[in-house]
Amino acid sequence: MNFDLEVIAQNLPYLLSGVKFTIALACLVIVLGTILGIILGLSKLSKNLLIRYPASFVVEITRDTPILMQMFFIFFGLPALGIRLKTFPSAALAMSLFAAGNAAEIVRGAIESLPTGQFDAARSLGMNYLQTMVYVILPQALRRMIPPAMGLFTTLIKDTSLAAIIGAFELTRAGQEIIERTFHSLEIYLVIAAIYFIICYPLSYYTRKGEKQRVMGF
Amino acid sequence: MAYQLDPYIIIRYLPLFLKGVFLTVEISFLAILIGLPIGILAAVARTSRLKILNLAGAIYVEVFRNTPLLIQIFIIFFGLPGLGVKLSPYISGLTALVLYVGAYNTEVIRAGLEAVPRGQIEAAKSLGLTGVQTFLHVILPQTFRISLPALGNNWVALVKNSSLVSVIGMVELTWVTFDLNALTFRSFELFGAATIFYLLLIFILINILAFVEKRFAYKT
Repeated sequence: MNFDLEVIAQNLPYLLSGVKFTIALACLVIVLGTILGIILGLSKLSKNLLIRYPASFVVEITRDTPILMQMFFIFFGLPALGIRLKTFPSAALAMSLFAAGNAAEIVRGAIESLPTGQFDAARSLGMNYLQTMVYVILPQALRRMIPPAMGLFTTLIKDTSLAAIIGAFELTRAGQEIIERTFHSLEIYLVIAAIYFIICYPLSYYTRKGEKQRVMGF
Repeated sequence: MAYQLDPYIIIRYLPLFLKGVFLTVEISFLAILIGLPIGILAAVARTSRLKILNLAGAIYVEVFRNTPLLIQIFIIFFGLPGLGVKLSPYISGLTALVLYVGAYNTEVIRAGLEAVPRGQIEAAKSLGLTGVQTFLHVILPQTFRISLPALGNNWVALVKNSSLVSVIGMVELTWVTFDLNALTFRSFELFGAATIFYLLLIFILINILAFVEKRFAYKT
């Protein structure tokens, strides 16, 4: 077979229009997942059982099942309860929940890794819970959260490709549409892989650098 | 029109579900098994002083870690036939999973190799062990012990990722669920049940890992 470069050149603009949706989906998921994840992570550390148990439940379900299954459940299963979402919102919701569950564990891990003396010191200075969190704990915990969070974000960007399976338009779906027209699977999928690589590699490079610095710094 | 829940649908199709679960377990187990030596070999290459081996290892790890597994599966199953390499869905899916988990294993095992104290190697040398003996009997067992928790994370992720091979038609848990859904339209019950099956599988795996980690942990 001959490797057809022309088919790549002709269809690159269409692939790039898919990249826009991939990046939009990834950004949406990262923002929603981080906010929800911080709330869930702090809830998991709560002394109140009524807050801690439901939070743990959500975290376990979202972390211990395949993200594809969650997407199917939201896209195909929720209409049974009268909740009908289109493909893109379904993918965004499923991925945000998945991101939140994983972010929650990162938040919890980072906070628990801080010496308890930090809490005690803040409390003995007369700070309340919110002040302790905002001024003492979170700024320190944040430094430890960044490398694993970067790793999570890389995973999320790669996982946006799953949205194509339920039919949401993004990079992978755009590629599938081109292949249905041209039958040049190898070329198109290799280009798609290269585009994901270009997006993900800087993030994972930074993750590794951050992890090394953390080992040195603490 | 209200949707009536029908939990019995799960019991009616339980044999099919279990078939899917078995294939999910089978392919995950095989990928874990084959992914380990690949991770060890690539990690040795990554820590090698030979530039070319080092580079090859790095390219393997970076390419497979920074592209989606779904695209890797598509390239192997739909793309490779263009080069004359036709693989069955089973072999394609397994190959993709093995290469993917292998790349993640490489980074974990490399970190483990580097964490073994240098003194261990010197001690082995002074006992007269050859390079290969030192690696197999001194470094590798300790690396495995250090890397086990992180390897466990990779394996949990692998079981979840095995759901992706359904897209090329491998009849595992996700495919069975999808097929039954097309047959009965009982989406809520079916995908709910599949979610519980995955939860159970992961729960069992996590507990096995916790047990093994305890057995192999450094005694203090």
